Amino acid sequence: MRASVNRPPTPDVGDTQEKQPTLEEIINIKFIESGEKERLMELLRERLIECGWKDEMKALCRAFVKKKGRNNVTVDDLVHLITPKGRASIPDSIKAELLQRIRTFLVSAAL
Amino acid sequence: MSSRIDHHHLPINGQILPQPCSHLVDFRSRNGANPFRALQDCLRVKPPGGHASIRREPNEVPRCGMCGESGGLTRLYACVACAAVHCHAPPGTSHAAVHGESMSPGHEIAVDVDRAELFCCACRDQVYDRDFDAAVVLAQTAASTLHAPSSIVRSPHPENLRKRRRVDYRPWTPDPRERVLMGSCSSPLNATVLDSCSRDFPAGLRGLNNLGNTCFMNSVLQALLHTPPLRNYFLSDRHNRYYCQKKSTVVNNGSKSNAGNPTDSRICLACDMDAMFSAVFSGDRTPYSPAKFLYSWWQHAANLASYEQQDAHEFFISMLDGIHEKVEKDRRKTQSQGNGDCCVAHRVFSGILRSDVMCMACGFTSTTYDPCVDISLDLEPNQGGSAKMVSTKSNHSCNGEADHMNLSQNCGTSTLMGCLDRFTRPERLGSEQKFFCQQCQVRQESLKQMSIRKLPLVSCFHIKRFEHSSIRKMSRKVDRYLQFPFSLDMAPYLSSSILRSRFGNRYFPFDGDEPDASNKLSSEFELFAVVTHTGKLDAGHYVTYLRLSNQWYKCDDAWVTEVNESIVRAAQGYMMFYVQKVLYYKASEKRVVP
Ligand SMILES: [Zn+2]
Ligand SMILES: [Zn+2]
Ligand SMILES: [Zn+2]
Ligand SMILES: [Zn+2]
Ligand SMILES: [Zn+2]
Ligand SMILES: [Zn+2]
Repeated sequence: MRASVNRPPTPDVGDTQEKQPTLEEIINIKFIESGEKERLMELLRERLIECGWKDEMKALCRAFVKKKGRNNVTVDDLVHLITPKGRASIPDSIKAELLQRIRTFLVSAAL
Repeated sequence: MSSRIDHHHLPINGQILPQPCSHLVDFRSRNGANPFRALQDCLRVKPPGGHASIRREPNEVPRCGMCGESGGLTRLYACVACAAVHCHAPPGTSHAAVHGESMSPGHEIAVDVDRAELFCCACRDQVYDRDFDAAVVLAQTAASTLHAPSSIVRSPHPENLRKRRRVDYRPWTPDPRERVLMGSCSSPLNATVLDSCSRDFPAGLRGLNNLGNTCFMNSVLQALLHTPPLRNYFLSDRHNRYYCQKKSTVVNNGSKSNAGNPTDSRICLACDMDAMFSAVFSGDRTPYSPAKFLYSWWQHAANLASYEQQDAHEFFISMLDGIHEKVEKDRRKTQSQGNGDCCVAHRVFSGILRSDVMCMACGFTSTTYDPCVDISLDLEPNQGGSAKMVSTKSNHSCNGEADHMNLSQNCGTSTLMGCLDRFTRPERLGSEQKFFCQQCQVRQESLKQMSIRKLPLVSCFHIKRFEHSSIRKMSRKVDRYLQFPFSLDMAPYLSSSILRSRFGNRYFPFDGDEPDASNKLSSEFELFAVVTHTGKLDAGHYVTYLRLSNQWYKCDDAWVTEVNESIVRAAQGYMMFYVQKVLYYKASEKRVVP
């Protein structure tokens, strides 16, 4: 298990492998390795569609593209545009549900 | 071949995309015929969802080669030239962009490791490539059948061939005016008829006498008598039996050819339906004998060579056929063609199935559309013999690979949604069924996927509880519980959703299926009738449960009784009738008690 944390995953990895991973990194890797992260992402995707968040973001992007012209907008521009609004407008209930799921996972993973 | 890049003006999911950036063009021209060769082995698809990702090893946790970030807050991209993974977090740091610049030229194009989508780090924008997407689609396709038994052979049931018999179908959907009309036609009726009815039962609830093993017919007739659009059609006098018969007689007398058999051409199942609707909604509660109808239907069905006696589903199919044939015969060709309109049976029950057959070698796909009046679903996933035997989503959640969408479903219990999932899953066609690929010009292994192109106003699901073996000349009945919901959303099984969830925002080798707004609006259905079968194959009995005014009634031939919904939920459904929610009138749901 731990070995995979330190395994150099890319050919040009520098000296990062020498460092002790932080707790945050360990948790992140646990989430990925167990597949829980993927499941949470899927849950989140579903919830954001249900509550209309996705449509809201879509509308923002559409309006922006319309204003700028479709050939003058990049994905990075759109990400830049919606990140602050998107972060702010996620319903608390969804955050709570995800937090609960994360807590449950951490307890079961005995971290 | 860089010349293939010319194809980039073609639409993706119905949208025209801009040209590829100079970096992608440049990358392709440097790397020959198969520029994404290195990536192909790294494509991973996790069944059953089918999201593609890029990993060198199945359980690799990719991280940025410069800062070690493992994708907690940023996206990670793998360079398509050298496979190095870097982070990209606009508008913040982008080691992917740094890599692209420092190694320039040739390292600008990268692939999102979690989504398997191409990105240009110089343009900072998503880019699209037909060959890349084709590789991803093929990988997804292969993975989606990974858990399937190696040879799924769909035995071409002669029975099924007959059911799927092509009819001259033209799609029809009610426009807003017609919807209002259909809705308004039902309300005054309820108000007036109710007064003359007994307080306890809603209008039109009347037992049907058994005329000698005719419960298979009575059960279906009860469902049809309470099919909202059908009921409204007949009760608003759209098929007047007196008028129709008079017309038939005139036609009959005019033509010498029919003189030998005057009865036959006057037989009209729609006329008999009209008479039955009048009788059933007359307010009279004594059981009705549908003898005239039985006679007409028998005349019609006698012509069907392989009619299987006493199967409610067979009866349903053949009687819709009967209504269709008569009405089409009476029409002049010029009238019936091209106006998006057919007989009432098809206007109510006909949907369109889409079938995509994809060549496993090259990805070429041929798409066909077929009208259908119902959907026949296999009951058990783990039994040899019949088709669509692939592992289901719910099986995966049982194995701990929980899919949250299925958590609500009970492991081990078959559900109607589970059946529909299987129905719309990609299915590898067996070696005997290799299809001729137009692109390869030879027969190839192929993959078939069904989806629903157009939903009917009323969806009838037929559960294949009777297994027929022509070899052993044996039939048996599968007594297995199937859970079915009272409200059903068909959106996940529509062609647009099926293809999108499989392939996402990519070029896919299917012909463009325009996003279907009308389908999206009307994908919600309400259950209003369940035909059940109890007992043995040959000595069984059909009973129908009807949902009227939000109360369930059991129609057992002549006997009609009020029942609790828990009884319906526990019943062994053989045919389930769902109506589009927009046609499931709220107004008639609540009985006004004066
Ligand atoms: Zn980085
Ligand atoms: Zn590179
Ligand atoms: Zn570029
Ligand atoms: Zn008629
Ligand atoms: Zn028809
Ligand atoms: Zn081919």
